[in-house]
Amino acid sequence: MKSYKFRQVFKENVGINNPVFVQILGICSTLAVTNVLKNTVVMCAGLVFVTGLSNLTVSILRKYIPGRIRMMVETLIIAAYVIIVDVVLKAFIPDISRQLGPYVGLIITNCIIMGRAEAFALSNPPTLSLVDGLSSGLGYSYVLLIIAFLRELLGSGAIWGFRVLGDWWTNWNIMIMAPGAFFMLALFIWVVKGNFMKEKQTASASPQAVSAGSPQPASAGGKS
Amino acid sequence: MSEAKKPNKLRRSLFTIFFMFAVTLVFIAALSLIYVLTRDTIRLNESLVLKRAVLYVAGLEVPQTGIEADALYQERVKEVKDQGGSVLYYEILDSPGGAVQSYVVPVLGAGLWGEIGSVVGVEKDLKTLTGIEFIKQNETPGLGGRITESWFKEQFRGKRWPLSVVPEGDPAGDQEFQAITGATNTTNGIRDILNNRLARAEQAIQASQ
Repeated sequence: MKSYKFRQVFKENVGINNPVFVQILGICSTLAVTNVLKNTVVMCAGLVFVTGLSNLTVSILRKYIPGRIRMMVETLIIAAYVIIVDVVLKAFIPDISRQLGPYVGLIITNCIIMGRAEAFALSNPPTLSLVDGLSSGLGYSYVLLIIAFLRELLGSGAIWGFRVLGDWWTNWNIMIMAPGAFFMLALFIWVVKGNFMKEKQTASASPQAVSAGSPQPASAGGKS
Repeated sequence: MSEAKKPNKLRRSLFTIFFMFAVTLVFIAALSLIYVLTRDTIRLNESLVLKRAVLYVAGLEVPQTGIEADALYQERVKEVKDQGGSVLYYEILDSPGGAVQSYVVPVLGAGLWGEIGSVVGVEKDLKTLTGIEFIKQNETPGLGGRITESWFKEQFRGKRWPLSVVPEGDPAGDQEFQAITGATNTTNGIRDILNNRLARAEQAIQASQ
């Protein structure tokens, strides 16, 4: 029963209820940090850390948090973890920290984290919330990594900073700039929804599939 | 009924306030601890960005580790400051405590989107460049942002100002440098910044001797 629930949560966050390509959350950082693979990996690791631990903390405190100030408490918890990520990056990988610039601090405003804390952690036990947070983070991460892989390949002819395409390759400058991310994300959503999610479309159209308190009423089948 | 409810309500409000204070206190304490533990490393990292840049533009080999780079900087670089305490220029010594071999000047100016901050090395004649490194820039990634690529920076070594621009890929003379295609404003910005600021630096260095 329990492991079934874990698997269910995991499957929803990575697949049918994916935060990026189904709920369209966290787009700001999807556009901003996916021009180079290395930065994206660091960003994703930071986000997985923050979603996991903030969900866990909110869930542990959920019986004590007064309803009226729950948003304040959630923001405080999320902000604390984001600052930890920022400080650790500055101390141990300063180069990447400089390149990511303000985007690490902006993890605070990533809707995925607040959304999971509100919609899931406040009403579920800690371990399940931790799994939910981590899997939401992973669902976000693999989408970003695919986009970053393609953008770096097409935009710089390189992967992880190493040139893989020969001199015959002309870099697509637009892929490095923000508009390239829009194109890539749109293509990604198109391919995924067109090929892998066809049979789920009827489910998302039915009204009872709307998950309670989810920030995106259009999300598919969130009955977790 | 309402009188019986009142103290209960008050207690709940107090609990709400107390709860917020307690949670804040716990998290602030944890963050402060982490801040104190990493403060020195972060400060060192930040100062190293500039120190490495100064060593790089002076044409010295920059060591991999931060401690070695810091040690080399202490040995070979002398900061010359104005009355306000900000650095006017750096003197590069040919050996620890030795004679001045070249200079490094902080150069600031307008790019396309924002300020471009850099350090530029010049020979003793104050005309020949030994290198350039960009410390701060907000140019368009993939276009103007390419000023941080090493081919662009390396081409300045041995060039003499006043500089002018030739198209990317064309052979450049000793008073010319290659532009970046698609980043005309950034390139022209750098040309103007270098020509103006290096002229000013020349006067400043001559005046202080």
